[in-house]
Parts: sequence; C-alpha cells; structure tokens
Amino acid sequence: MLSRTFYKVVIVCCLCSLVGTGCFWRRGGKGRGAGGDFSDSGEILDIDRVGGDNPLGPRFADGVPVDEQFQNVLFAYDSFSITDSEISKVETVGDYMTRNQDVRLIAEGHCDERGSREYNLSLGEHRALAVRAYLVGLGVDGARIQTRSYGEEQPLDPGHDESAWRLNRRVEFALFR
Amino acid sequence: MLGRMAVRAVLVWAVAICGVPFRSIAQVTVVKPGAEKVAINTAGMRPAGADAGRVFRATLDSDLERSGWFTLTGEVASLTVAGVAEDSRGRLEVSCSLLYAGRPRNSFKRSYNAQSSDARRLAHRVADEIVEAVKGVPGIASTRIAMIGSVGGRKDLFICDAYGGGLVQVTRQGAVCLAPGWYPDGDSIVYTSFHKGFPDIYRIDLSSRRRTRIVGYPGLNTGADISPDGRSMVLTLSKDGNPELYVMDVSGQRVTRLTRTPHAAEASPSWSPDGKRIVYVSDSSGSPQLYVVSRAGGGAQRISVRGNENVAPDWGPDGRIAFSSRRSGRYQICVLDPDSGEPEEQVTTDYVDHEDPSWARDERHIVYARTARYESVLYLLDTMGDPEIRLTAMQGDWYSPACSPK
Repeated sequence: MLSRTFYKVVIVCCLCSLVGTGCFWRRGGKGRGAGGDFSDSGEILDIDRVGGDNPLGPRFADGVPVDEQFQNVLFAYDSFSITDSEISKVETVGDYMTRNQDVRLIAEGHCDERGSREYNLSLGEHRALAVRAYLVGLGVDGARIQTRSYGEEQPLDPGHDESAWRLNRRVEFALFR
Repeated sequence: MLGRMAVRAVLVWAVAICGVPFRSIAQVTVVKPGAEKVAINTAGMRPAGADAGRVFRATLDSDLERSGWFTLTGEVASLTVAGVAEDSRGRLEVSCSLLYAGRPRNSFKRSYNAQSSDARRLAHRVADEIVEAVKGVPGIASTRIAMIGSVGGRKDLFICDAYGGGLVQVTRQGAVCLAPGWYPDGDSIVYTSFHKGFPDIYRIDLSSRRRTRIVGYPGLNTGADISPDGRSMVLTLSKDGNPELYVMDVSGQRVTRLTRTPHAAEASPSWSPDGKRIVYVSDSSGSPQLYVVSRAGGGAQRISVRGNENVAPDWGPDGRIAFSSRRSGRYQICVLDPDSGEPEEQVTTDYVDHEDPSWARDERHIVYARTARYESVLYLLDTMGDPEIRLTAMQGDWYSPACSPK
C-alpha cells in the first residue's frame, strides 16, 4: 500500500516536470504538426453502456495487490503452448493459489513486437487463457482467475533482438487480495 | 543527405548480395491500365477579393494533382475548370464549372459558399466532386485519417487530413489504445482502450466529444469493425474462454458467435462492402492467415496462400482486400480479390515493414504504417504507381491508420 502511494507521487512529480518543461501536450495549445498545426480536442465526456452477463465472472481490477513474485511463463514465437520447461512455473503459482484461497489472480498475456498489433492482442489473450486453463486443471477455481492481454504494447525488455523478444513473449501474474 | 545516400548505397549493396528484390520508391514507375492521367487546366478559376479565394484555388490545384487522376497544365487541355472564388466580408462564394474540350455543354456548373476560414475544406469538397464527375469514383481530398500516435510513451487517438495536414489529438487518456475504425457516417470512431484497466471497446462521437464504453466483457474486447449499413459490428471477444469472432448490433446487444476454434485465436475482422461476409485473421493452421466467413456464420474459407504470415486485412470498397504479408522476413502490403481468381498483387517492395493497410474510398490509394529502424510513419500509397506521400512528420510512432468512409 505504501509503495503504491509512493509510485503515485513519483508519477505525479514526473508529469508536473513534463508540463513545466513544455514537453507535455498543452491544453488548447498548438504545435507543429505534419504539414499543419494540431490543436487540442478538449475534454471528453464518459458514458458507460456496458452490462449483461459475464461468463468469465466479474472483473476484479481494484483489489489490494499481493506482494508475491512469480516467474513469467515464456512462449515460442506465434505460439500459445505452455512448453515442458515452463510448466513448473505455472504449478508454483497453482500451489500458492491453493494455499491462499483469498487471493485472486490476473494472468497477463504479452507478445514480442513483431507482427500485427491486433493479432498480438488476440495471441496474448490466448497465452493468458492457456495459463488460466492449466491452473483450473490444477484445481484452482476459475472464478479466481481473470485474463488480460496487452499484446505487444508493454514489452518487458525494450530491445529489438531475439534475447529481448524471448523475454517479452510471456504471461505475468498479478495477484490481488 | 550524404548520410541518407550512404545508407541507400549500403542497402542496395546488401540487397544485391542477398538477392532480395528491392526498388527504391522513386524507381517505381509502373503505369497500369486506367492510370493514364487526364490533362486539366484550372487557370480559369479566378480568385477574387481577400485571401481565401487564393487559398481555395491553391488547395484545389494541389488536391486535383494529388488525386492521381490529373495532370495540371496551363495549355489547352481536355478538361477545363472555370469560375470565380470570391472572398468578401468573411464569406467565400465559389462558382465552378467543369468543361470537356469539344463538348458544348458543361459537365457541371455548381455554386458553393462557406466561411472564408473554411476555404481549404471547401476546396477539398469541390476537388472530390470533380474527381467523381470525371472518374466515377469518390475523391479523397475530404478524407480524414484516424490513427494511433505513440508520443513520449503515451498512446492516443489522433486524426489528420488526407494528405497529413490538420493533425488533431482526440484522446489524452494515457491509457493504451489501438485499432481505430470509423462509423459509416464519418461522425464517430470505434476503438479499443485500456481506459478502465482492461481492453474494452469505446465509441467517440467527434462532434459531442462524448466517449461511450460499448463492449466490456471479461477478457479481451477488441478489433471492432462497423458494418457498411451502420447497424452491426464484428469484433473479437474471449468471453467464452478463447478469442473468437462475434457479430453484435452497434449498441452492444444481441451477440452472435461466428467462429468456433478452441485451439486458435481470431483477430482483425473486416466487413465486405456488401456487408454479407467478413475477412479475418486466424492462427488455426499454426500461423496467422486470412479467412472469409459469411455474416451468418458457418464454414470459413482460407484465402491467403503465399507468405508465412498474413495479417491486418481491410476489405476495400471495390471488393479487393489489402493486407500485410510477411515475405523474406519483412511485411509487405498485398492486394487480393477473393472472387476474381486472379493472383494477389504485392504493392510494396522496399525492404522495411509495411503494416496496417487501410483503403481510401477512391479504390486506388492505401494508407499504411511504414516501420524502418523501429520508427513507424504513415504513408499514402498509390496502387496505380504514383510516388508515395509521407503523412506524419512529428516525432513518435504513428500506426493503425483508418480512412474515413466520407
């Protein structure tokens, strides 16, 4: 909880300094665009029209994060199969979930930067769902596991070679209580 | 410049060594059937009064030239544009006639008026009407392009004009967003955003600046494409345990599942122009490939044959599908008519990545994201062989373009 607040303060400070140096988009400001000026579009009103049934169970993005580190499950290019070498990582998480019945988990699927962003979003989801299915097979209640795909949007390693891509094709575990 | 030439020289040398086909943009000079340009003389369109008249005339000339269909000339031409563009007290009054040489009657004679500050927009409209009158396809000068811009680590939705001007930032959420597409009326954009922590589908009404979250099932909600009649959308959901395609009405109700592939992920659906079929990506064969399925569901047919990956299809207004195909390690834009039986055509050749093609409504131009040295830039590509036009010049990455339908 303390570390969360700390991060928030750091982020706010960073944003403030950006605004101060003029790097941040200024509201109503103008900048040099591609062949013309661009202007700010102003605020956007939000409406929520989403309801209905939730076969995967309700989302739980707002829980208190559990400070527990697990190794990321890694995948081959364009693949969502959990290879033999990765199975023990999922089993470690399964053990923890069995011992801590009040903990819920989001399996977060990621891809490397190659290929289409839209396809990578689906592939990342497929990876997260493969891990979820394995955990359910280990006896963890599916209602305790959500999936979230980031596709190629949040690489762990910003590099552009196979050593970076290998680490970026992954499922991460975010735990909440 | 010297550095650039050196890079090009090295590239040419490297390609010569590797034997990979390579042509620089300037060397592509293919003239295709139907690509012969019509000479047009606009000297008879006279600006009058204050500045807006001259802005109108200059924009009209440049739009006609960039449409690809015309050669501007001061000589006797087969087409003549004549009239007056008068800027008086903040209003721009335009009368415009289009004449074919050797024919006594005007092809059209029309009047327009707008605020003087809208001179460019009015010129775009007149240019598009001239293209339509002469070639029978809509012009694209009034087209807007939605895109994602990644600047300083933030990803937001932007819009620019057909040739890259007038860049406007639409969202400033800071949350990851992707896959923008237009509603057929051109007034709203549908896109995917992590605004509430998960990938959900949002609609932004550009005039009211209202954003509505329209689909937000557990798991993945993305890739929405609005049907040509504006009533339905096709999208990717994982709510039933696996990424599959679904059709639902635009309000987010009445969901119908289209695909059933428990061991494959589906993505990137795009409607056929008649709204009866959908082209999409599936990795059911082990790599992402293109398939076509009826709107009513049923069996899907694979249509991509070459390339070890085929992704990001966009079904264009004349029935041809543009997509990105991995060839010799790079993504190239290809065009395929699934009903003609003709072989597909590769329309880019440079040894860089060409991704996310989006057809312009003139059935001739394609906007796409070109990635070289890990920087993405949007380009307007002419399938009939005119040189490409670079659309984005600002720092950052620019990708996932979508051409407005109006």
